[in-house]
Amino acid sequence: MKPARRITPWLFLAPGLLVFGAAVLLPMVLTMGYSLVDWNGFGPMEWVGLDNYARALRDPAFLGSFVHVLVYIGATLILEVLVGLGLAGLVSMRKGGLWFRVAIFAPVMLPMVVVAVLWSFVYNPDFGLLNGFLAATGLEGLQRIWLGDPSVALLAISVVSGWVYAGFYMMIFYAAFRQVPAEVVEAARLDGAGEWALFRRVKVPMIRNVTAVAVLLCVTGGFQGFDLFFVLTNGGPYGTTEIPTTLLVRTVFRNGEVGYGSAMAVLLTAIVVGVGLIYVQAQGRAARRNVGARPGVGTGAGE
Amino acid sequence: MTRSRPRSIVTASALAAATLVGIAATAAPAALAQDTTLRVAMGSPGEAAIRVWDDVAKQFETSHPGVKVEMNYMQDDLYEQIGLQQLLAGRNAPDIYFEWTGSRMRQRVADGYAADLTEAAAGPLAPLFDPAVFNAATVDGKVVLVPYSADVTNVLWYNKQLLADNGVEPPTTFDELLAACDKLSAAGIIPIASGNKDLWAAGNWFSHMASRVVGEDVYDQTLAGNGKFDTPDWETAFGYIAQLRDHKCVNDSANAIDDNEGAQLFFQGKAAMHMIGSWLVSWAIDEAPQLDFDFVNLPAMPDGAKGNQDSVIGVETGYMVNAKSQNIPLAVEFLALLNSPENAQRFIDEAEIQPLAHSTTTAAVDARSTRLQELLNNAPAIVLPPDTGYDLKMANALFSAEAAVLGNQQSPADALKGIDSQLGR
Repeated sequence: MKPARRITPWLFLAPGLLVFGAAVLLPMVLTMGYSLVDWNGFGPMEWVGLDNYARALRDPAFLGSFVHVLVYIGATLILEVLVGLGLAGLVSMRKGGLWFRVAIFAPVMLPMVVVAVLWSFVYNPDFGLLNGFLAATGLEGLQRIWLGDPSVALLAISVVSGWVYAGFYMMIFYAAFRQVPAEVVEAARLDGAGEWALFRRVKVPMIRNVTAVAVLLCVTGGFQGFDLFFVLTNGGPYGTTEIPTTLLVRTVFRNGEVGYGSAMAVLLTAIVVGVGLIYVQAQGRAARRNVGARPGVGTGAGE
Repeated sequence: MTRSRPRSIVTASALAAATLVGIAATAAPAALAQDTTLRVAMGSPGEAAIRVWDDVAKQFETSHPGVKVEMNYMQDDLYEQIGLQQLLAGRNAPDIYFEWTGSRMRQRVADGYAADLTEAAAGPLAPLFDPAVFNAATVDGKVVLVPYSADVTNVLWYNKQLLADNGVEPPTTFDELLAACDKLSAAGIIPIASGNKDLWAAGNWFSHMASRVVGEDVYDQTLAGNGKFDTPDWETAFGYIAQLRDHKCVNDSANAIDDNEGAQLFFQGKAAMHMIGSWLVSWAIDEAPQLDFDFVNLPAMPDGAKGNQDSVIGVETGYMVNAKSQNIPLAVEFLALLNSPENAQRFIDEAEIQPLAHSTTTAAVDARSTRLQELLNNAPAIVLPPDTGYDLKMANALFSAEAAVLGNQQSPADALKGIDSQLGR
């Protein structure tokens, strides 16, 4: 059906477009504009073209921050997604387990800054719970300056991230497991499958699309990580937990290099979007290859 | 950088000032027929000081009907790093804002956020202060900041009992400090507590040490961007940081904990000494009232050091008026009220803060605070802290390098080369 006036659809679209333009497009365009100038945020701007980008691509701190965030993402894929998947498998084995789910999910509801402050008490090398526990159990040899030792600081932050988000992914996977048809599970049981085989060979393959989404969320979320790092280590010790977002904030707000920081932001955005697109395309190809195979559960092809 | 400091003058004109402020306050309302909001922004000065500030705001609102004073207290680091810039760029920018003298203050002037307060300094504000306090608040001959307080950024605090129990005298030279470290470490006590996660705590200490070694002028020139760090003198200075590390002077956790956690080691008697600024007095009185502590200035560096071995690291702070404010005269009146002898006295009595403005009495909050003020006033040379006196990017590079040497991550030479490389020198 054609609208009576050509302008009518645009009138309906206008509010949404205005909000999108003001909240998303305009800041993006401005950031791209700032990335081409040398500016401290207040004074006059000086046009530098692509110099800020060239500087970013030569900056060892900026390049190193991507290495750190990739390590962090790798660790959180295990500590968040894999652990979440395992926990979901455990709680879906039998009915009940409501309190278990609530307990595991509870950290997700805490503001990340609060989580970071709580864990800074746990990790405190002098008064902290972790070193205190190790001392009390005769494991002094395992004591560390958890957030001050370059070899463990990044892992220590990843553990906190896992503590928070494992519950989040557990709930996603748990919901997906609930969608697995009961007759499929029953058939597997009749064929003699135990809980482990049922989990590994039936349930997990049937929620692979949900798993793909979880991995995508974890990877893109990892690039956006900030608060945990900012509160727990602020990029230290010696820059070993510096990730692009903490470096960006330091560059823009502490060093007053808005132009250079904007170039970093544009590059970070391009990389996150690029990674997301490549991943989604790869998943799409995999899904197309699987057309005609067993139906999946959750999002995507096969349903 | 070497500057002569004003000598503290007892308030001779307190009564005149109070009268003047009173006149200014009562004369203003007629001009303020319509509602006006006066916005004041600062890092959090602590609960006790906030109560005084809020009361000053109420006093001003009472004497200026139609004027609302909006106070914005922000977390300190947030204010310094992000908050103020955001506020100034925002629609409801503050009319009055806290700032450190030095590079940050000059930057505000360059960016057009500093009203010229020269007339006010010579007029209604004049009776409230010793005129010399405006020296540090002056840029290109114009007063741009109303001084509030002067902080000694770093001295060596010590726990009297712990030192006495271990037969250690408060160290006055670097060699004595190293000997004290050896003795205290052997006794299982952390010699010096530091919480350097945010880099400035030990950073200011090591930078002061460096200024004593390379000389105040070289320090100032290098930090101002007119010289390289990779020089023999700077390497000698950084070598002393390595010596402190090798003598286990500082807690292993220094680079992992923040200044508050570092102070707790001192407050709880786990550490015998603590390197931090003058604000420790009120902090310790509040959190460790039983602690018997005192201070000495940074111990003198060994022979060959080129700086003044009695120099003091410190900075004057105060309040600037936004040049873009529509309420500049009102802001000046507010600052005059804030610094009136009665309100200055209230900051002393209720918040244990020693303002630069004349108070109604000469008594300070604590004998140690008085001595700190005298230390600053009588210092033969004042060294500005890198993070408030100079460009923040430079300060960050310097502090990071110092932390890396302390943490045995880099040699002094490599750390210094790294600073130059990072700053493109």
